[in-house]
Formats: sequence, C-alpha cells, structure tokens
Amino acid sequence: MIQSSNALPAKSIFQNKYLQIFVRYGLTVLLALLLFAGILLITGNNPIPSYRDLFKATFGSAYGFSEVIVSMIPILLTALAVALPARIGMINVGGEGQLYLGAIFATFAALAFKDLPGWLLLPIMVLLGILGGAVWAFLPAFFKAIGLVNETITTLLMNMIAPKIAGLLVFGFWHSPRETNMTPNFVDAARLPTFFGTRIHLGIVFGLVVLALFWFVMKYTRWGLEMRSIGGNVQAARRNGIPVKPYMLIIFCISGGIAGLAGMAQVSGFYGLLIPNFSPGYGYMGFLISWLAGGDPLGILLMAFVVSVIMTGGNMLQITIGLPYAVINLLLAFSLFVVLAKPVLPKFLRGKAA
Amino acid sequence: MKRIHGILAIIIGAVLAISACAQQATPTAVPEPTTPPTAVPATAVPPTEAPATEVPAEEGPCLIIGATYGGPIMDAGYNQAMHEAIAAIKENISCVSIIEAENVYDEAGATSTIENMIAEGAKMIFATAYAHQYPALGLAEKYPDVVFEHVGGWEMGANFANIFGKPPDVWYMMGVAAGMMTETNKLGFVAAFPLAWTDVFVNAYALGAQSVNPDVEVIVGYTFGWGDSAKEAETTNSLINQEVDVISMHVDSPQTVISTAESRGVYSIGYQNLAAQQFAPEYWITGQGFTLGDKFTWLASTVMDGTWEPIFLRCGLSDGCMAIAPFGPKVPQEVVDKVAQVQADLESGKIVTFAGPIKDQDGNVKIKEGEVLTDDAMSNVDWFVQGVVGSPK
Amino acid sequence: MSLLALLGVLSSTIFSGTSLLYATLGEVVTERSGTVNLGLEGVLLVSAATGYGVTVLTANPLVGVLAAMLTGGLVNLIFGYLIITRKANQLAAGLAVMFFGYGLSALIGKPFVGKLIKSLPRYMFPGLEDLPLRYTSLFKFDFLIYLVIPMAIFIWWLLYRTRWGLSLRAVGENAETAYASGRNPGAIKFQGLFVGGLLAGLGAAHLSIAFTMNWAEYMTGGRGFIAIALVIFSKWHPIRAIAGVLVFSGAVAFQLLLQVSGVNISPFILDMFPFVLTLTVLLIWGGTRKHSAPATLGRVYEGTE
Repeated sequence: MIQSSNALPAKSIFQNKYLQIFVRYGLTVLLALLLFAGILLITGNNPIPSYRDLFKATFGSAYGFSEVIVSMIPILLTALAVALPARIGMINVGGEGQLYLGAIFATFAALAFKDLPGWLLLPIMVLLGILGGAVWAFLPAFFKAIGLVNETITTLLMNMIAPKIAGLLVFGFWHSPRETNMTPNFVDAARLPTFFGTRIHLGIVFGLVVLALFWFVMKYTRWGLEMRSIGGNVQAARRNGIPVKPYMLIIFCISGGIAGLAGMAQVSGFYGLLIPNFSPGYGYMGFLISWLAGGDPLGILLMAFVVSVIMTGGNMLQITIGLPYAVINLLLAFSLFVVLAKPVLPKFLRGKAA
Repeated sequence: MKRIHGILAIIIGAVLAISACAQQATPTAVPEPTTPPTAVPATAVPPTEAPATEVPAEEGPCLIIGATYGGPIMDAGYNQAMHEAIAAIKENISCVSIIEAENVYDEAGATSTIENMIAEGAKMIFATAYAHQYPALGLAEKYPDVVFEHVGGWEMGANFANIFGKPPDVWYMMGVAAGMMTETNKLGFVAAFPLAWTDVFVNAYALGAQSVNPDVEVIVGYTFGWGDSAKEAETTNSLINQEVDVISMHVDSPQTVISTAESRGVYSIGYQNLAAQQFAPEYWITGQGFTLGDKFTWLASTVMDGTWEPIFLRCGLSDGCMAIAPFGPKVPQEVVDKVAQVQADLESGKIVTFAGPIKDQDGNVKIKEGEVLTDDAMSNVDWFVQGVVGSPK
Repeated sequence: MSLLALLGVLSSTIFSGTSLLYATLGEVVTERSGTVNLGLEGVLLVSAATGYGVTVLTANPLVGVLAAMLTGGLVNLIFGYLIITRKANQLAAGLAVMFFGYGLSALIGKPFVGKLIKSLPRYMFPGLEDLPLRYTSLFKFDFLIYLVIPMAIFIWWLLYRTRWGLSLRAVGENAETAYASGRNPGAIKFQGLFVGGLLAGLGAAHLSIAFTMNWAEYMTGGRGFIAIALVIFSKWHPIRAIAGVLVFSGAVAFQLLLQVSGVNISPFILDMFPFVLTLTVLLIWGGTRKHSAPATLGRVYEGTE
C-alpha cells in the first residue's frame, strides 16, 4: 500500500520570515515561467508579449482581476482540504470527489426547497454541501481507521464515482426540460450573493474564513498541537494518550466538508446550476497548491492566487497567440516540478524541507 | 548523479523537439479539406473567391469579430464548419479582424472568453456552441454596443440574435438514402446527449428512412459527451455489433464514428461538415454540412453599415446555409436520383418532414392529422417516432 | 439476447480493453519496482498525441506506435528524475506529470486535430474465416490486439522468471536490502519506469491510432486512473490484470448493449460498477490481510549517497 509517511511537509518552511517566503515563492514562479517561456519559444511565440498579455488580462483591468479572485475560490478551499489532513500525515487526493458530492447535496437543497427564502435556503445548502463532502471523506477515513485499506487509493476511486453520481442525478431526475445535460437554473434565493457587479461571490469569504480558522487552530489551540504531534510521530502521539483514530476520522471528514463547501460555492455562487462534469480538476489543483505551499496557510493563499492568475490569464494566450487553453497546464506542472526538484537555491533562501 | 542530469536534459530536449516538430509540421501536413463540389443539384457551395488584397487596413481593422467554439476548430466537424464560416467573413471583407477561441467547453469559460474578446475591442461576437447561449445573452445586456450572434439556440434580444441551418429537412433526405442502402434494416445513430434537437434529427432521419423502407429501425446510442472519442468508438462498435449497417451521428466531430464504421465495413452518413467524407473513402453514402459563410458575411456587413437588426434566422439548403456532400462510390444512381427528387419535393412543399399523423414510440399521437411540427415546437421535442430504439430523454 | 449480441459484447470488450490492458501492465511493472505513477493519465495523453502526430506525418502507423512507446518511456523518465534522483514525493510528482501531460499533449496534438490517418491493418482471427459475415466482422483485429495477451504473459515471465524481474521486485519489496545484496535500486527503478512507460505508450498508441483513429484533448478520459485501480484489483499481477480489464471493459460494453437494445437503465449506474467493484474487492482483501502490494510502494528511497 501507499505509505503516508511522506505526507506533505508538516511545517512552514520559515517560521516568521515573511519576506523570505515571498522571495522563495517568487523564485519558484519565476523558474516555472522561464521553463514555460522555453515552450513558447519552441512553438514560435515571443514569450515577452505573451506574458504581457497574460498579466494584462489579469492585472490590467478590474474585470480581469475580479476573474482571478473568482477562479481562486474553489481551489483555495480544495487546497485547504488537502493541507489540513496533511498535518496528521493523511493524504487527501479525494478533493475532486468530495467537491462533487458537496455540489450534489447543495443542488438537491436548491431544487427541493426552492420556495424557501434565501436567508434560510443558503445556510441549508452550505450545511448540506459540507455534509456531502464529509460523507464522501468519511468512508475512506473509516476504512483507514479500522485498518482495512489506505485512504489514497480509495479516495482516488471515489473521485471516479462522484461525477457519475452527478450524471445519474442530472440526466435521470434533475434536468431542465430543454437541456438534459444540466439542471434548471437555481432560483435567486439559492444563489450566493455576488459583489461589485462582478462574478466574485460569497464563496471567497468562505475560503478566507476557513483559511483563518486553519491558521488559528494550528497555531494557537491544543488541537493544533496534538495534530502536529500525530503528524510527527503517530506511535509517540498514541503513547502520549492522543486519540489518534478519532482525530483521523474527524479531520478527514472536516477536510471533505471543506472540499464539499467548495462544490457548493461553485454551483450556488458561480454556475447557478449543476452540470455533471463541472469541475476541471479543482480537487487536483488544490493538491498541487497545497504542495507548492508546503501546507503553509499564507503560502496556500499566495499559491492559490498565482494558480488563478495562470488559469485566468491563460485564456488570453489562447485569444492572442492561439495556443490551446490546455497548454496552460504545463505552467502549473512546471511550478510543481520546480518545487519537487528542489533546485539549489542561494544559501539564505534554503529551507530545510520544501 | 551528474550523469542523470545529463540524461534528463537530453530527454526534455527530445520531448520538446517532438513538440517543435509537431508545430512546424502544420503547414506541410495533409492539405486542408476543401469543400468538395456537390453532386446534388441546387446546393451550390457559397463561393469563397475574392482573395481581396486591396484595402491595406493601415488605420486598424474596420470591425473586430470575436468567435467562440465549443471544441477544436480543426475537428472536421461542427467547430470546423463554424470556423470556416468565420474565416469566410475575413475573405469577403478583408478589413475585419478575427479573434477566435476554441475548446471553450462550458458556460463559465465562455463568459470570461467573450469578456476578454470585448476587452480586445470586439464589436461583434459569434458564440457558436450550444453552451455559450446564456453567457452571451448575459453579456449582451452588459454591453449594449456589441452585437451578439449565437448559433443554434432560440433566445433573442435587442443586440442578440440566433442563426442556424435547417438540418431536419436534410436529415429526412439522409434518411431516404440510408433507408435505401441498408440491408439489415437497422440504422445506427451515435448521439452525444438526449437533447431536443437530437431527438428532432433522429425523428426526421427515421421518417425519411421509413418513407422508402417501412421496416427500418433506427437505434440510438449516447456517448454523454460532445467530444469523447473513446466513448464514440465504443458506441459505434456496439451499434455495429447489433447488425447496424449504416451509421450516422450527432456529435461534434464525426471523425471517430466515421473512421470506426469504415474500419468495420459499415456505411456512414456524415453530419456537421462536408470534410467528414475523407474518413470514409469506401463506405460513404453522403452527408450534410453547415456552410454559413455567406450569411455570416452578410451579418457582419450589416453590423458595419449600422443596419444590423436582431433576426431569428433559419436557413436551409436552398439558401446556401447547408450543403450535401457528394455520394460515395458504392451508392447506386437510383438512390442519388431518389434523394434529388425528395429534395425537390421538400422545397416545393410536396413533402413536409413533420406532417401529422406522427406517433411516438409508445403509439401516442404526437402530431395530429393535418398538423405540422413548428420550428418553435422543435426545441421541446422529447419523444422518438415509432421505429426508433433508444431513450429520447 | 442473441448469440450475436453476446459475441458483440466480447468483440467490443476486446477492442476497447486493449489499450487499458497495456496501460495496466505498464503500471504493474512500475509499481512492482515500488513506484506509483499517479501521472499515468498524463503519460497516456502525451503518447497518444505523439503517436497520432507521427502517424499523420509519416503515413506509417507502425512508426507512430514506436514513437508513442518511446514517448511514454521518456515521460516516465522525467517522473523518475523527480522521484528517484530528486527524491520527491511520488503522489505529488505523479500529479505534476498529469498536469504536464494535459498541457504537452494539447500542444503536440493541436496541428493534427481532424487529420486523417492510415490506421493499423486488421486481420481475421485465424480459423473463423468460414463464419457468416455478420460474425466475422466482429473478429478482425489489429496486431496490437493479438499481441496484448502474449504481452501479459511476457511481462509475467519478465517479472517472475528473469533475474531482472527478481531485482525489480526485490527493489519494490525492500530497496535497502536490495542495495545490500549488490543491486542499484535507483537504476532498477528507472528501468522499471521506462519499461512501464513503453507499455503505457503502446496502450495510448492503440487508443489514438487503432481504436478512435482520432486525437482530441483529454481523450483518455480517466483511463490512466482506471488502470491504476485495475493494478490493485489484479493484485499487482500481470495475468490477473487480464481479468480485471475484461471485467471493466466488459461492463462498459454490456452497458452499451443494454442501451442500444432499448433497455432503459442509466448508463451512469453501470459506469460506476467497475469502480465500486474494485473498492469492494480492496475492502475484502484488506479484511483478510492478504496484501500483495510491493512493500515499499509509494515510499521515497532515500538511497545511500
């Protein structure tokens, strides 16, 4: 079975040197951009105007910037859904499936209780979304806790099942009369409010609140301390009387709930309906971000932002130089390559883990 | 470890070189499938001459047109047909500038893509995919000075209109050809989703086939994806294994379905793009494609001279918006003549595709004697006519 | 249900299962050396795109198949560089390779979208020539299909009857011990990855060149992940992988048969079946403690530098 012992680095690389964190992430991104520039050159494109377009599309206008924030919402949440269980040495590659279940549960509420007022319906949808993700995370965590099977492979399999459940429900029961491949549009009461006339919705607040809670709990509570000790050495933690199994179950469910919340935010805040294959891999992107950030809360925020800039700006590359949109995945891959390959950095920047 | 670094450098270099070759190879690869001359009378392909090199547009383009596609523009299918129509605008009016975005799969992507196009100065948007209708409609309200044309939908607005061909009548003709060619009396139909339009196409196809061969059955298999080629191959094989001997499809790119049919020695009837014929040199019956270049050009010209108005435009074979591909080598003259005659009858109104009485699979009368299915009602069809096997919803 | 329909399911299963079996065999080899390649999906995509492109350019599907194989091997070596040389976490590196494959395959494949290729020739299954036409058309296969079962047996032989296979499995079980007995775990892991990549490339080549005869972005549609699941289902054994693939592809083909027979059952339920089955099997094995997984699977070999 796959070992969990090499889980995500449990600690921030630098404890309180924020400047160094920025420089470090900056160098990672810079190296990735350099590698991608090579690709652009090979395909006959000049990287400089291409990058200018990319940044113009994201920082050049209020609209572009708002789109960056919009695309950051789901991946910020799914990254947290990876980073949290990583602290106790569990690997959640199931964010994708948990996201779908959250979306499905929330959609159920949106369609079934559409006559309720928004102040009641939205909290129901949030709770159901969290519940959906938590249920999907509970099963693998339970199987792991009773020693049956490792969580990595079960969550992967459940990722494959979740979109099919969405398909089953949408095509079988929930579709609108005219378009069988999607549900009807949600009523306004089932939509998260949006801000400033953009597509930025309340989901961003969810993301930031969860991020703040994660940071606070890890840093200032006994739970954080105990989780760190489980992540450090399970046997030692067990000897010290920390209830390891309940922790595993609860943390994994919470993490699934966070991913489920991301799914709820997408269907309620972004799409306003459910499409069977709505996620372009948000769960996996969350995994990537959590890794890029080494599980550090500030880093997660930064890297979620960087990934969003790449994804939003990549759209512009397609329009201006005709590169397929999917090519932007290379830039994501390169940034993770750089982090994983641990290039030798100047001494003052070198972390001990990364 | 030094050695491994070296090896790695070589590997990355090699992979990059492969992709470089791939990119450079573009111009030398197989020549563009040009629109073949039609064998059926009165379906002239819109002339795309006028290489128009005069007007040097020094002071910038006279109109920037943005076009979004739901799949790759060289798919030999729907997206390519749309792309060719957009390219025709540029050929006919050389001072326009075109911005295109392919593989815009979903509604969310369409919104940001069109926003970016408008930010780049686009004053006219062609949203060509089914899923782009509502994003475009929403943006039409936000940008009243930009003209939006959506292809294949039904919504209308002050600066938002819809355009499409009239495939159902042509599907009826395709059905006639298929009904005459089949020996097993089983026709296969690979469809992406059970959508209203797909149901209409299947029904027209089945009615056409039944008009010449009452025993014919149309078997429908869904892939649940517009461009899932592995699923398309699996579904096509399944249909052929059910003794189907003519295959047709309503998916984005007909390439996989037609290639699979050809490899199994089964006839195919193409849809979306006349270029589909290249995939079935031997077992091709015929096909239909969209040729909207002239209409798109006309729409763009009305935007330029300020006379554009929202018109719900549906245009068929006789308007040059659709065309029929040449017949394949195995098709007897008798079939060619019959299809031509049916076409003439459809145009003269002697044959009406959806004229009652028409019953659904369960025998319920859906269109009464003396009634006709209207264009508007077609968007709400969720039933198959008798003789179709498969689920309509 | 007629005999023809059932034979049709068999034929469909063979056609669509071949690429999956190659990919699964590749992952078996890789995992036997203690490496999980979560990026198999990306490897398959890059190979499928390259194979298709080379077939268009050379008009020779055999060259395309070879190119796809080589590409699979090379992409796996990049993965190997990360996890063996740089000692990166396998899951994260696999995910990076997945994203890498999404991007690179789109880039490589773009010029060839919608291009016509010359596919692999098909030959009648020996001994069936005299059957009526409606049966014979079910059993005309290309050479990659004929080769896939022998390949599974060959991989079994390679793993269990050769010195190389012994070394590979030894490294997968315990790299430190293997090192102590004079083997070079890093090199052997690289070799395992390369062989696994070749096989994955072969599967991808069959998918794009022989089965769909098309290239489209994301065309593997999760087959890489399915292969990883099937490896576990088959308990890391090449012969059992055949059974796993038959069950999986058979379920897909059977579901399509039901659909085109007019039986109204949601295809999504049947699509879920293989995954639910794999999960169940995993749980049962977990319960009986009969693991056959390579002991160091997924673990970083820290080496002795």
